[in-house]
Amino acid sequence: MNIYDFFVKTNQGKEKSLADYKGKVLLIVNTASQCGFTPQFKDLQGLYDKYREEGLEILGFPCNQFAGQEPGSDAEVQQFCRFNYGVTFPIFAKGDVRGVNAQPLFQYLTREKGFQGFDKDHPLSEILTNALKENFPEYLKGDSIKWNFTKFLVDRNGHVVERFEPTGSMERVEKRIVECLEKK
Amino acid sequence: MAMVKVYSINECPWCEKVKNYLKSQQVAFEEHNIEENEADREACYRLSRDLIVPVTTVDGKNFVVSFDKEKLDALLGL
Repeated sequence: MNIYDFFVKTNQGKEKSLADYKGKVLLIVNTASQCGFTPQFKDLQGLYDKYREEGLEILGFPCNQFAGQEPGSDAEVQQFCRFNYGVTFPIFAKGDVRGVNAQPLFQYLTREKGFQGFDKDHPLSEILTNALKENFPEYLKGDSIKWNFTKFLVDRNGHVVERFEPTGSMERVEKRIVECLEKK
Repeated sequence: MAMVKVYSINECPWCEKVKNYLKSQQVAFEEHNIEENEADREACYRLSRDLIVPVTTVDGKNFVVSFDKEKLDALLGL
């Protein structure tokens, strides 16, 4: 079993085979819905603009399992929604990424790369851990996806090489993407 | 007053808030879903130079983005 065996649903409701992405470096991300506090979409679009020509593809999988707002963002509640999340990389159909109804792709990804904890040096880690303990304590168990914007990096041969929690720095994500792009 | 237009997308809690507010103030409006209708999407973009919703307008020039009660009241003379 490898990543190219999986099918996913596009946001038009059509089936798409991940084998179509053979040879590309993939960053698979479970994303918030269109109406959450989502500065990460901007960062992801930035990476896409920079490395798309070299073979990076970003695949976004929206999910409603993690509430609308980013924890710690009660300062400014965003009272609007952005069409198509404001990005140009593919966004697939909304679906579960954890729990009993998790899509097969995400069951596979979490089996390949488990949870190693949130990044200790990230200010969001403590806030996120406390928010989860308070509201979704069951999410902290095991290797499941813990929150929006968990990212899985897949190399050009379909191997899941790394998992980044939402607290992972974008600099590190970028560095690893470049390393994968350079390996031919 | 010309017909109030509200630009929206599917599953948009803020759009719902605007619509409910207008209903509660007995303000008639037309909903334009920019996710489903390309012409509406273009009109929304021409108006607000972005694709954020909800956008509320009366005259097609002045508009309010997001659910902002104060600004909506000012726009609609409420």
